[in-house]
Amino acid sequence: MNSPTRTPQTLVVLGVVFAGLALNFLLGSPNPSAPPRIPLVDTNFLDTSTVRRSYADLARAKEDLSDFDCYVCHEKGKAPTLRFDTNQNLIIPKEHADVVMGHGSHGRNNNCFNCHNETNLEFLQSRDGRQLKFSDSPQLCGSCHGPTYRDWEAGVHGRITGYWKRDLGEFQRKQCVNCHNPHSPRFPGRPPAPGPHPLHWNGTEAGESPAHPHS
Amino acid sequence: MNTSDPQPTMDRRSFLRTSAVLTTGLAALAASLKPLLEIKDLPTMEQFLQKYYKELTPAEMAKVLNRIADEVEKEYGLRPHVRDLKPMDGVEYVYCLNLTRCIGCRKCVHACVAENNQSRNPEIQYIRVLRLPHGSLDIEKAEHNYHPESVPEKGFFYMPVQCQQCKNPPCVKVCPVHATWQEKDGITVIDYDWCIGCRYCEAACPYWARRFNFTKPGIPKERLNPEMSYLGNRPRRQGVMEKCHFCIQRTRAGRYPACLEVCPAGARKFGNILDPNSEVSYILKNKRVFIQLKEEMGTSPRFFYYFDV
Repeated sequence: MNSPTRTPQTLVVLGVVFAGLALNFLLGSPNPSAPPRIPLVDTNFLDTSTVRRSYADLARAKEDLSDFDCYVCHEKGKAPTLRFDTNQNLIIPKEHADVVMGHGSHGRNNNCFNCHNETNLEFLQSRDGRQLKFSDSPQLCGSCHGPTYRDWEAGVHGRITGYWKRDLGEFQRKQCVNCHNPHSPRFPGRPPAPGPHPLHWNGTEAGESPAHPHS
Repeated sequence: MNTSDPQPTMDRRSFLRTSAVLTTGLAALAASLKPLLEIKDLPTMEQFLQKYYKELTPAEMAKVLNRIADEVEKEYGLRPHVRDLKPMDGVEYVYCLNLTRCIGCRKCVHACVAENNQSRNPEIQYIRVLRLPHGSLDIEKAEHNYHPESVPEKGFFYMPVQCQQCKNPPCVKVCPVHATWQEKDGITVIDYDWCIGCRYCEAACPYWARRFNFTKPGIPKERLNPEMSYLGNRPRRQGVMEKCHFCIQRTRAGRYPACLEVCPAGARKFGNILDPNSEVSYILKNKRVFIQLKEEMGTSPRFFYYFDV
């Protein structure tokens, strides 16, 4: 500001700059580069319930157990006859159409009475001859799957919910049939939850995130 | 004109002109500073003057928790239950993850977000599920953007990665203000009121486990988890780091973490390694625990990956 004529000129220039900025901020859109909204995740993916419900769950919740009343249809004291096709595959009667025989490979485990008690259908029959209630099914599974049963007992195979510190609260060990269908035990596939969205929005479609800065 | 004052410094006209220009200019200056008004989430004086976490007396801590509850109530219209849970004696947490069982469904990712009040928009997630081709453990071949109809996919396995709660944590070493440290139960925690947001820890972490709040976290009111803890899942401010803390608000109350509870395949196991009867002790003794991720970094994670035999 050496020359007195320069001062007003500088002030005018600065004033114009500020006025321009002010106009820009007042009239312009508040945040032009805002990324699109990421939809909230479906609450089904937050559900902690098991894949299936066991007999024990249904009994505890006092729900309909009529599926387990075998002698509404079957005759007491008389073993049902099993029929097989020419390939030695079990022919499933239409009353049991929901049963998919898929336990063990090569169709070798195709006899209902490998696990169900032949003379009392409301019980299970383990390989070592014990009669077991439907609610005690893990012992039946354990009579063939020993190492897995040992892991399950230790809480290492399968699901546990509740308290890791047992003296502070209850914990629940889920049964084999909470995850595995006993007739077809392979764990079913399921649709995955939505993948990550890019943190820095760069115009790509959701799901095509740019490379991670560290990679 | 008064001749006794031959050179007046300013006549009336130029005074008016100058002051008009000055007024307009100042008004324009004020208006051009409008973006400053958009800075929200400034700390209150009480928060600004708050002492370091480890120096707070129980009475002062109660005050702080009350302040946090007030702030959350004002912001989200819901009174939370904020606690400051201390580590238990004789407890050191270990996490084990069964790579044979994980199906890559990402339910753990979203259960974690819901439990820990992470920002939904922009998205912050503590768990990253990597998909790897069978026969390799090369992280370079991993992909986290997989979108099949159904998981698991043939020929792949899945490896969720989150904070490994290292015994020798590089993130803690680089923090210039001691806003992050390792507690005696093995959890590395962050004091969100002490963090200055320099992101050194994010750069130091070999597991990409730390996340930065570039904006104020966007949490929908109806999805806020009101069961909170100071070092855990209370809502964060803009400009601070966060990461997995083994669900400190659950695990220090004796419960399992949220990611474990939601896992449909039972692939996640958690517990006290100092208890010889815990699940994690059984796994480390009996299972093929083959990997601590990036073992060669010398970080000694408390997070173990294993296979079923």
